[in-house]
Amino acid sequence: MTITETSKIGIAILSLYGTLDALSAPELRNNRSIIDPEKTVVIDLQQVDFIDSSGIGAIVSASRQKRQPSGGIVLACMNDRVRKVFEITNAQKLFHIFDDTTAAVDFASSRQSASA
Amino acid sequence: MSSIITLTLPGEIMFARLASQTASSLADLVIGENREESAKRKFCHAFELAVSEAVTNSVTHAEEFDAPQMLTVTFEFEPRQLTVSVRDANPPFSIDKSAPDIESYPVHGFGLKIIREIMDQFTYRRDGDANIITMSKSL
Repeated sequence: MTITETSKIGIAILSLYGTLDALSAPELRNNRSIIDPEKTVVIDLQQVDFIDSSGIGAIVSASRQKRQPSGGIVLACMNDRVRKVFEITNAQKLFHIFDDTTAAVDFASSRQSASA
Repeated sequence: MSSIITLTLPGEIMFARLASQTASSLADLVIGENREESAKRKFCHAFELAVSEAVTNSVTHAEEFDAPQMLTVTFEFEPRQLTVSVRDANPPFSIDKSAPDIESYPVHGFGLKIIREIMDQFTYRRDGDANIITMSKSL
């Protein structure tokens, strides 16, 4: 898996590419923006071509590291394969999920401002 | 008539990906060219995901041992069905049919739930010192 990190109005955007499974999950767990409890992160899942329950676990674990569990990780651009696994595990109920990164960043920014 | 392919793998997490990608490739081979593209993608994804979950579970449990255990993944092709079995030498485990809680921590127990959801048949049995998970889906 490859992780590309950009930033917009103070929000980190992690774009994931490839496979998010037990082998690659530590890359996400150890990402600097993920482990910073104060940092709000948008995860762009559009280019994730495979995710399993270990990958879901890594994203849930990331949210638990945040000071604001419900707002610290915001998800964007789920494709059908990713959405299916989120639905089976019911993990979608833990996150705010947006169809595009712009809406996700706007939401994350508003949450970050509200908690400042 | 059926055909059988068997992979024998070390119980290390990198081989879970090898097994799941092999499952996807074999599913693609079996389903053939005449199916709709969306049906092909769904069938291949189901096998990739189910095998990833089953082998990752095996490897995770194998970590309880000092040395990595070998595990066997067997693919059986029948005219209208693909079946995958994962066999390991780990201690037996219980098949909990209750839904795991995504809000529990750490997140675990979802592998079998996913397999049950996406495959047509799922069985677990103990054969001597071995665990055998069998999963199948019709074409």
